[in-house]
Formats: sequence, structure tokens, C-alpha cells
Amino acid sequence: MNVALAILWKDLVSEWRSRDRVVAMLIFSVLMAVVFYFALPDQRPEQLQALAPGLLWTAYLFAALLGLNRSLALELENDALAGLALAPGNRGWIFLGKAAANWVLISLVQVFTAAIFALFYRVDLAAGLGGLAAVVGLGTVGICAAGTLLATMAVRTGFREVLLPVLLLPALFPILAGAVKGSMSALGGEPVPFESLQLLIVVDGVYLVVAFLGFDYVLDE
Amino acid sequence: MKSSNGNSSPAASEIPSALEIRASRWRRPLGIVLALLALAYAWAVIAAPIDSTQGVIQKILYVHPPLAYGAYLGFVITGIAGMFFLGGGREDLDRLAIASAEVGVIFCTLMLVTGPIWARGTWGVWWSWDARLTVTLLLWFVYLAYLLLRNFSGQSPRTARFAAIYGVLGLVLIPLNYYVIEIFGSRSMHPENLEQGSLGDGMGLPFLLGNLTLALAFFYLLLLRWEVEAQRTLENGEGA
Repeated sequence: MNVALAILWKDLVSEWRSRDRVVAMLIFSVLMAVVFYFALPDQRPEQLQALAPGLLWTAYLFAALLGLNRSLALELENDALAGLALAPGNRGWIFLGKAAANWVLISLVQVFTAAIFALFYRVDLAAGLGGLAAVVGLGTVGICAAGTLLATMAVRTGFREVLLPVLLLPALFPILAGAVKGSMSALGGEPVPFESLQLLIVVDGVYLVVAFLGFDYVLDE
Repeated sequence: MKSSNGNSSPAASEIPSALEIRASRWRRPLGIVLALLALAYAWAVIAAPIDSTQGVIQKILYVHPPLAYGAYLGFVITGIAGMFFLGGGREDLDRLAIASAEVGVIFCTLMLVTGPIWARGTWGVWWSWDARLTVTLLLWFVYLAYLLLRNFSGQSPRTARFAAIYGVLGLVLIPLNYYVIEIFGSRSMHPENLEQGSLGDGMGLPFLLGNLTLALAFFYLLLLRWEVEAQRTLENGEGA
């Protein structure tokens, strides 16, 4: 447990000092918002509002891919990953620390991204802020759980940038399905359907367990 | 980037292993039965009556569902073999996982090709986001990614471990995807199941033969691919 906290703290401090990952993800998300505007020309405001949850999650997914790749690529410098592998204790805690740090940073970016989408697409965030926060928070747990595990694998192959999306996106479809449905309800001012939250919790749980147990094999030399 | 054969794996386990040798003994007899059965199957499909509403295109029934069973079987074997490989480090099971994933992807691809042709003929569209269709497409992506992971990372013990974990993740995704479809209820255009007697007169035999033949074809290809993988490992090991 202490290992997880130490790694969480280390990742947050190093990000605070460089701020490169969060800034890159944020700029990327804003760019996505602009790309969507040009990709969907001549839409009425209400049509854009209806599309906003799906677009928002598309931006979230791709921004997360960017951040996850970088988060593990950093550990390759000076062979830090090998150092982590030598740390005493269960390696699952190393995974949890990395995943938690990713969750914090990606969530931070998501808050700003949501605000930008609200501005550009005239989405009323205040209507379902609590529900949206729950859906986004839970969805991001799943993204970070599967993402941290798969990014650790991907960065150790010769095709790291190419491989992570190919590995991760198929695993994220269940999360995307639940999160978009939930966000649609929340942004429409309705309560988030229980099925969405249930799905997200189940997928999160499964991915956390698989990644916690699997990380031991991933870090092996 | 990485060279083949990690230095951490002395050839502790024999290649081919006892299990592989035993399995490969089955391939030839299986091939003979398969060849005979394939003839009977082809005859039965030709002789089967033409459906009064769907026309000749309905004969895809005799290949499409059996391909689906093969695909799922391939993915399940990949996941389970991967799990045992992670647990016990038996390299022959890792080779079985590769073989099974490849044969599964071939079956899945053929299913995804025959499906739209049939759909166009009967539903009037090439593609619909029907429940089973969507889940199968998603799984197809998972196992394509599995094969890419193996190809991109070269042959090494590390690759084998990565692939095994991904295979287990894929195994977990099968029920998860079905769960998604169930709660978000996209209507299924596929028939729920083939109830007793739901096939027309004369259609039962070719359907049964189709299932048998393609199941045998699956196992034949699996054994063949498994042998090839053992041979490849052996040659790479000698060349290193």
C-alpha cells in the first residue's frame, strides 16, 4: 500500500515539476473540440448538444491514450521501470500507484475539457454535474486500469505509440458504452440510469483485478 | 527491435513437448476423417432444398454458425492456454495459444464475411449493429490486436507473457461485451436459437454435417498450426 502511495506521490510531483503531460493532453482535447466543429458542419445548436456526450468521450479516450503512453514511456528513461520491478512487495501496488496517478491527471484534464465543450457546444453542465462527475470518474477508473497495464506492455515493444491504441481501444468499448449513455442522461438533466453505473463498476472491478494480478508478469524482465 | 529468444529461457522444456507430440499424432487421422466428411458435407449442402423465401442464399446457414462456434472456441482456448502458461510457464501452451488465436481469427473473419452476404440477402442491409454482430466484431478486434502484439514484439518470453495477459483480458471481454449488449438492448436480428424443428425439411443433415466438418477443420488447423509453431521455435532456438 505504501508503495502505491509513494508512486502516486512521485508521479504527481514529477508532473507538477514538468507539467508536460497535462498540458499536452489539454491542448489535444481543445483541438479535438475544434476538429469536431469542422467535422460536423452546419449543425443546429440542439443537434450539437445531443452529440456532445459522444464527442466528449471521444476526446477523453484519445487524450487518455496520449497521457497513458507518456506516463509509462517516462519510466523507460534511465531504466526506471527495471528499478520499479526490483522494489520489494507485491507489484500490483506499483500498478495501483501508477494507475491512481494517471487517474488524477486525466481527471484534471477532463474537468477542463468538459468546461471547453460546454462553452463551444452550449452544454449546460450545471444541470447534471453530480451524475456526470460520477460517470466520468468511474469511466476513467476503467480507462486507467486497463490503460496502465497495456501501456506498460506497449512501451516495452518496438511499436509503442502504435500499439497502445490497438490494444486498448477494443478493451474500452464496454466503458465507452456505459459512460456515453450515462453522460447523455446526466447532461440531459435526468438521473443517470443505474445500468450505466452498474456496468462501469463491474468493468472497473474486473479490469482492476486483472491488471493488479497481471502487472507482476508485465514487469518481469 | 528486440532479438528473438530472450536470454532468460534456457531450453528447459523439450520442443516439441510430450503434449505436442501426443497431439500431433491425431492430426493425420483427423485429416482423413475431415476429407471424407467434407465430401459428404459438400454433397449435403448441394442436395439441401432451396429455401422458399430466402432462396439459395439461405445455404450460408450451413457455414456461418459453425464458423462462429469455431471462432469462439479459438478465443476461449487462447485465453485458457494463456492462463495456464502464466501459472506454470509451460511454453507448449503458449504455442497452443498462438495457434488457437490465429485459427480463431480466420474463422471469425470468414464469419464476418459470410454474415453480411447473408444479411444483404435476407435483411436487405450489409451491416446492422445487431447485438451478436457487434460483440463478434469487437472480439475480432481484440484478437487481431493479440496477433499484432505478438508480431510487433518478436519472439521472446516477455512477448509470450504479454500476449497471455492480453488473451486473458480478451477472455474476460467476451461476457462483458454480452453484458453491455444485454443492458443497452440493441435489438437482435439474429434468431435467438435454433429450436427443435425450426429448420425446414432436409436442412437438418447439412447443418449437422456443417457443424461437424468445421469443428474438425478447426481442430485440424489448430494441430497443424501448433506443430508449425513448435517447429519455428525450434529453428529460431537453433539459429540463435
